[in-house]
Amino acid sequence: MTDRSSPVQLSARHLTRHFATRVPGKLFQAKRVVRAVDDASLDLVRGQVTAVVGESGSGKSVLARMLARIISPTSGDLVLEGTPIPARAKRTLEYASKVQLVLQDPYASNNPVHRVRHSLERPLLIHGAQKHEVDDLARAALSRVSLDPPERFLDRYPHELSGGQLQRVSIARALCVKPDVLLADEPISMLDVSVRLGILNLLKGLCDNEHLAILYITHDIASARYLADEIIVMYAGQIVERSRGTALVDTPTHPYTQLLIASVPDPSDPTSMASQSEEHSSFAVPEVGCRFAPRCPFAMDVCRTSDPPDFKVGEGHTSRCWLYANESEAVVEMALPERRREGETTKT
Amino acid sequence: MIADPLKTQSAAKMTESPQHSVAPVSARHDFVLEVNNFSVDYGVGEDMVRAVNDVTLKLRRSQVLGIAGESGSGKSTLVYAMTRLLRAPGVISSGDVKLNLTNEGDPEEVTPLSLVDASERELRNIRWSHVSIVLQSALNALNPVLRVSREFNEVLKTHRKGMTRSQRHDRSVELLKMVGLNEDRLARFPHELSGGQRQRIMIALALALDPELVIMDEPTTALDVVTQREIINELNDLRSRYGFAMIFITHDLSLLVELADEIVVMYAGAIVERAGASELYQAPRHPYTLGLLNSFPPLHGERRELAGIPGSPPDLAELPEGCSFAPRCPFAMQRCRHEAPPLTNIGDSDRSVACWLHSGDPSVRVPVELSREMNPSRTRVTALKERT
Ligand SMILES: Nc1ncnc2c1ncn2[C@@H]1O[C@H](COP(=O)(O)OP(=O)(O)OP(=O)(O)O)[C@@H](O)[C@H]1O
Ligand SMILES: Nc1ncnc2c1ncn2[C@@H]1O[C@H](COP(=O)(O)OP(=O)(O)O)[C@@H](O)[C@H]1O
Ligand code: SF4
Ligand code: SF4
Ligand SMILES: [Mg+2]
Ligand SMILES: [Mg+2]
Repeated sequence: MTDRSSPVQLSARHLTRHFATRVPGKLFQAKRVVRAVDDASLDLVRGQVTAVVGESGSGKSVLARMLARIISPTSGDLVLEGTPIPARAKRTLEYASKVQLVLQDPYASNNPVHRVRHSLERPLLIHGAQKHEVDDLARAALSRVSLDPPERFLDRYPHELSGGQLQRVSIARALCVKPDVLLADEPISMLDVSVRLGILNLLKGLCDNEHLAILYITHDIASARYLADEIIVMYAGQIVERSRGTALVDTPTHPYTQLLIASVPDPSDPTSMASQSEEHSSFAVPEVGCRFAPRCPFAMDVCRTSDPPDFKVGEGHTSRCWLYANESEAVVEMALPERRREGETTKT
Repeated sequence: MIADPLKTQSAAKMTESPQHSVAPVSARHDFVLEVNNFSVDYGVGEDMVRAVNDVTLKLRRSQVLGIAGESGSGKSTLVYAMTRLLRAPGVISSGDVKLNLTNEGDPEEVTPLSLVDASERELRNIRWSHVSIVLQSALNALNPVLRVSREFNEVLKTHRKGMTRSQRHDRSVELLKMVGLNEDRLARFPHELSGGQRQRIMIALALALDPELVIMDEPTTALDVVTQREIINELNDLRSRYGFAMIFITHDLSLLVELADEIVVMYAGAIVERAGASELYQAPRHPYTLGLLNSFPPLHGERRELAGIPGSPPDLAELPEGCSFAPRCPFAMQRCRHEAPPLTNIGDSDRSVACWLHSGDPSVRVPVELSREMNPSRTRVTALKERT
């Protein structure tokens, strides 16, 4: 595993993070464990975008913060450029300079009392840049995110910039310490529609031209498809489906992925209106068996007793669902819940 | 046939009746809402910015009007001002808004009410019962210290005086069912509910008194797609059962195309395009509409780079001369930079656009992207597949 020539920059091996919460109002305060992330493994590869898609609360941000080593995992390891990172060791400056995190809300992550110059130069100084070179480095960082000319932005305060410009500043700040890995947690969800594509194209450019390894977290599966070389779908803390390329969007196999895709407003697909309208949020995540079972239209007996493992459903495409237990080589075409229920499965 | 809104106003004032005491106009109006040359400013003097600029629109009964546009384009300001919920420093600077209320007893008769001139008392009377509005901040709109049951109780108590306590309870349970929630939610406090559940409760409250017009300002923007889909389906279902008209605001054009009958697109406070939902989607005419449509990566078809809309959203305090979209417009011409295009009908069609490309000037070549034909013989689906 210490192959320095490998293009894999950062690997997560069986990362798990549980939080203990108390259930309020009980006489004997019952402790409940929230399994925020369970057994997540992934490789972030140089020159590639890995997208993680999931609904609110599915564990995306906890995963990103473990990868940035801002929170420590309950179990599992990180491997940076082939070197395992001891689970309990503190986050080093060296690690921080290689793996940078960009957050969702650019207004929250840019201190309103500091000019752009300050928020770029400070991390540079912390990471050992010389005083005389920080100005040039800060300018270069702004140019990299297309904030040109840099002098128009250096002395501005956050409130003097638009959301899209400010998010570019956040990315510039992450980039100025020359990381190999960029973790972007919903970088566009707070931004205006008209500037979102600009940020996505910027990330794509960083990946293609500067060979960064990028983790792109989103709840918007269409933007994941637009950008990603690998797509991972999370549900209730688990990776439930993953594919290289866009296979997972083009032929989703896991019932949750199918629901996710059927829910996206898509005027070119009239069936996108067809899914049920009952609220799902009242379903608790079960302790045993498949976590999606209470919402799954295909749930079988086995689903309620044992947690499914990953099954291979195509080249570089796996699905964590018992439906694929006996046909793990087969690629299953997208089947809408209605069609499936009538037993009209579309296997090839 | 259309009563003078000013007359309506003075008549109502004279009698000081809480009811709309003007003689009802016989013959049912087609439009539930008519907005004319409506402008709204924030601040005064030097710092004044025009957030809504000369907006005219009409909404037919039982129809859905979608309003799209990026943030800051004036969507919320428009509906807040229209319903007189706008707070200082916002002021209505011109125009009128007419609500054609149906009369209880005889639904064939309507009484117009000018919302711009209506007294607080008249407004109180129509809110919830004739017009209800679910605000963008609805996720926080519920009072955090009140149980959900209290919110329903308040609304029903104020507007349905004859109801007994147990009738109010029954109605609340019925309303929750209507939006797919279990009755045990009545005993909850807002913080015990998810964002989606709170939004469903706001919708149930909005429908509690069977209004004619429901206004929704980005009701699903803060929710994930699955929850959004559940709520949209719920709304469609409720609308087909109860027949209220709806104004639905969002920046997500694809959502509107599914939901709305007609869509208006706003840019820098003004309407730049108005068309039927599928016309707007299949055959956009304004460069900004085209840009918005191209800002959402598609779920199907080949992956290709999208450009979106270059530049940044406009600063209302420093709008350029001429067309306000010109600095970002890939088709801008000489004329665009000094003359503002008015919103005009395209030929004899029932759609309008504010763009010099469509002024009919034969020397102007309309780009293919903006002159696509609607093909009625093709279904929506195939038409789109061919495009991508
Ligand atoms: N410090 C904490 N203590 C207890 N539970 C936590 C903590 N942080 C996160 N969780 C729980 O872990 C789960 C995953 O949270 P996470 O923030 O990763 O979700 P997410 O996928 O990023 O959601 P969103 O799309 O809303 O950002 C949630 O159930 C959350 O409530
Ligand atoms: N209280 C206020 N004071 C001054 N300007 C405001 C205020 N509220 C909104 N605006 C401005 O009015 C314009 C339209 O805002 P808004 O109606 O909220 O847009 P939208 O709902 O389309 O996102 C924006 O430029 C915004 O900054
Ligand atoms: S394992 Fe069973 S319950 Fe889980 S997603 Fe598959 S079919 Fe549904
Ligand atoms: S009027 Fe000119 S600048 Fe404005 S949208 Fe049309 S072509 Fe573009
Ligand atoms: Mg998150
Ligand atoms: Mg708004």
